[in-house]
Order: sequence, then structure tokens, then C-alpha cells
Amino acid sequence: MVDFSRVQKELQECNRDINVSGISVNPKSDNLTNLIGTIPGPTGTPYEGGTFKIDIDLPDGYPFEPPKMKFATKVWHPNISSQSGAICLDILKDQWSPALTLKTALLSIQALLSAPEPDDPQDAVVAQQYLKDYQTFASTARYWTESFAKTSSLGVEEKVQKLVEMGFPEALVRSTLEVVGGDENMALEKLCSG
Amino acid sequence: MSLPGNRTRVLCKFFAHGACLKGEHCEFSHDWKDPANNVCTFYQKGACAYGTRCRYDHVKVPQRQASASSSTYPYQYTLPESITSSSSPSSAIILPGVITELSATSRPYTSQTKSPWAEGSGQNDLIPDVITQSRTTNPADIAICSFAAAGNCPRGETCPHIHGDLCPTCRKQCLHPFRPDEREEHKIGCEKKHKHLEALKHSQEIECSVCLERVLSKATPAERKFGLLSECDHPFCISCIRNWRSSSPTSGMDVNSALRSCPICRKLSYFVIPSVIWYATKDEKQEIVDSYKARLRSIDCRHFDFGNGTCPFGTSCFYKHAYRDGRLEEVVLRHLGAEDGQTVIAKDIRLSDFLNRMRIR
Repeated sequence: MVDFSRVQKELQECNRDINVSGISVNPKSDNLTNLIGTIPGPTGTPYEGGTFKIDIDLPDGYPFEPPKMKFATKVWHPNISSQSGAICLDILKDQWSPALTLKTALLSIQALLSAPEPDDPQDAVVAQQYLKDYQTFASTARYWTESFAKTSSLGVEEKVQKLVEMGFPEALVRSTLEVVGGDENMALEKLCSG
Repeated sequence: MSLPGNRTRVLCKFFAHGACLKGEHCEFSHDWKDPANNVCTFYQKGACAYGTRCRYDHVKVPQRQASASSSTYPYQYTLPESITSSSSPSSAIILPGVITELSATSRPYTSQTKSPWAEGSGQNDLIPDVITQSRTTNPADIAICSFAAAGNCPRGETCPHIHGDLCPTCRKQCLHPFRPDEREEHKIGCEKKHKHLEALKHSQEIECSVCLERVLSKATPAERKFGLLSECDHPFCISCIRNWRSSSPTSGMDVNSALRSCPICRKLSYFVIPSVIWYATKDEKQEIVDSYKARLRSIDCRHFDFGNGTCPFGTSCFYKHAYRDGRLEEVVLRHLGAEDGQTVIAKDIRLSDFLNRMRIR
């Protein structure tokens, strides 16, 4: 069984200093096993200015088993799969420790964004490019950040406006958008179906 | 009433309450005619916190007489202030009538104990005599005022009993002025208790880094314990750290570097010590570890099984390795010269080890 009282405490703790760290964790639905975390792209990197969403799945053994995390936002990074969002990070695998929390794990992911490890890649194509042609890598990463990590956060108000105009209540629109990760078409589909 | 033999004929407390599991084999009397032992044991030791509200009798029982028990009364009651000088047993003041009056409710059948002289003379006349007598006896035999020892004596200065000296630790007047051994005993015990309470108070605040809860506020009492790691000072609750160390390693996880290391600092510790309090100093931790090991050393090892089995932990096992006759296992280390000239300690060598290596051509 997942230790829900610990997860609750973690969420409170994490959202308390959200202004300092910029890292937030929120439940995706009613149960606390599916969560969504957001981290700001570290400054001085091609990911600067972007907001990255991370899908978090808590296994039954949490906190004695590592949480399953993957990027929901598309990212161009040697240690993150450009297709699936899978993250290659030791603390999410064999170096996990129960003293780590969702917040510290997200902080480690943020650190990974600023310090890629191309010698231990998750995405071989990106790693190759990083090693052979850093300039192209940096511009691709910046472009991906611009197109995937920013629109969802910048245009959120417009999307809410648009969906509200269609006749859905604003609170529901906001929560639905949050759940689907900011995709307006998916949100509309969900609103219509449910 | 007179029963054969030297058996203590005191009414069984369990029988008096309706049921004694020992039945006929009970060492106490199952005869309503026998008197109940209703003497307060705390009062015998010098202080009963209940004072006059105590439901047990506050009377002093001379040790010597209590053992001579062939009479109807296994012991002779004397009033609290009356002191039997130990050299002359004849001076003991036996007041069966008075006692019957004091504790009539506790003894249903007391008809034969009312002696005519006690009724005739009247108990009120007797008590002052007893008190005056006590002034001349050894002050060490006088019990101190139990109210003062419990914290507050309503009679204050006018109290006829002696008030004990103030204990510097518990701030109660419970140190007997004339019993040096008892004073020391109380002081040592009190200081120890005080230290333990302080440590416990300090420990209340400590959180487990895994469940993020205060260890001593956990739901079940079994969980309200720390699991100390031998090599570092990071606090966990016993259930969390044991859970983590016994969880099955996932693929690629190294048992030593992941599971057996501290979840916070990753320092390798080979064992976990359960403790109700969290230590403040290295010495305190050492004390906890030593007492834990000493406790385990008194328990027979299940693997060793009095010599019938073999313990995988061998000489480093924390449990007792003793044979049925109480003999401890002798540890014989076999030293072998290794190829590089160094001495190594040989483990058990079995014939099967060699046979396995043999190849049949």
C-alpha cells in the first residue's frame, strides 16, 4: 500500500515553498497515486523559460520503491527520451532511497536538465548530437522548449476563455486543462464526454 | 481455626474476589474464617501516596513476627507510630481489637478476634501511649509522612509524623532523614528516572525521515520506537528502517550500497538497534547499543539451537551460543597461510567442497 499520509505531507511541504523552488506537485485525479509535477527550466540552459510537466505514478511500495516519473512535456535532452519522455536517472532506479521525496526527485530532474550526461544516454540521437554538434543541439532544445514547454503555460488564460465561452464552467475548465496537461483539444474532448 | 502445619493461613485475595485459578493447590487459604492480608506494601516501604485514602491497612508489620505464622494471625499488627524495639518482642503492642475496628470491612468473619480487654479499655486511650512510646525508639524505624512524600502534607508544621528531606531531583519530601541507604537508593533511582524523562521529552520532537511522522506519535505503540543505525545518527522509526532494509532489492540494486546504507547519508550500517528514546550524545547511544546487545546475548540463538544447528553469523552472532548443559560455544579459529604469505582465518571446510571441485574423467 502506498503511504498516503506521507504523500499528503509531501504535497503540503512542496506547495508551501512553491515561490522559491518553482516546483509543484498536484494530484491528477482523486486518488493520490497519479500525480503531476511541474519544474521550471533552469536558467542559463536551453530550457530556460519553459515549464515542464512530469507524470508521476506511485507504485504500491512507495516510499520503499521509487516513484515512476516521465516527462509529459516533450523535451530535447540526452538523458530523456524525445519520444516517450522516459528519464534516465539513477535515483529513480537503483539509487532510490526512502528518505528522498517527490520534491527532491523533481529537483534532481531539474539538475539533470542543466547538467546532461551524454555518456549514459536515454536518447541516443540526442546524445550523439550533443557530443558532435552542440550548437545544433542547443538550438533544437531551445526550439522544443519554445514550442512545447511554453505555449501551454502562456496561452492558458486564452484557452480557459475559449472553453468558457463554449459554455463550460470556469473551475471545471481549469481543472480539466490541468489534468490533460494544457492540451485544449483533449480538454474539450474530456469536457464533452464527461 | 488452628490448622496443622506451618502454612501461612492468609485469605487468598483471588478467592475473596470470587475466583482463584489455583483451586486446592493455592498456597493461600480458601477459608473465609482466615484473615485477609490487607497490609499496604507501600506503607511498609515508608511512603504510600494514597495516605489515609488508601484502601489497604497502614500498619507496620514487624518482619520477624510475620514469618512465624502458625497462629491465627500470621503477623501481629501494631499501630504505625508504635515501634517494636527489635531486641524485646514482648514490647510489641498487639491490638487485635483496634485493627478489627480499622479494617472491619475487609474481613467478613471477625467475631473471635474481638478481645474483651480491647473493647473494655477503649482504643482512644491507647493511642497516645503508643505515640509517646515512639519518641524514645530508633528514629530510623519511623516511617516518614506519606502525604509530604507524595507532594503535599495538609497538616504542614503541625503534622505529627516526620517529614522527609527534599529530593533535589523530584522536589518531593521523600528522603528519610535517618535511613541513609534508602536515601541513596531513591536519589540514584530518581536521577535515572528524571534523565529518562528528559530524553523522552526531547525524543517526542524527532521525526522519521521516511514516513515524515513524529516517531513517538505513531498510531500503534509497537511503531513508537526509533531504529538507530550503528554507523550514523539519522533518526528513523523502527518499522520504516526495518521495512526498507528488508525490502527486496530491485534489479541492479546493490544490497550493501542501497538497502543496508542509511537512506539519508548512505553510510553502511550492519545492524539496527531499537530504542524508545533518541540519544543526545555518543555515550548515550553507546549505552543503548550495549544494553541491546546484552539483552540479545541472554537469548539462545535459534540457528545454533544448543549445538544442534549451525548459525550463519558464527562468532559475530548477537545471540547466545550455549549447549544444553550451559557450556558456551568455544570459538576455535583456524589460521591458514595464504598464497601471498598472509595469515587468513579459515572457515568451516567440508568434504563436499573438495568433491565438488573434482572432475571425473
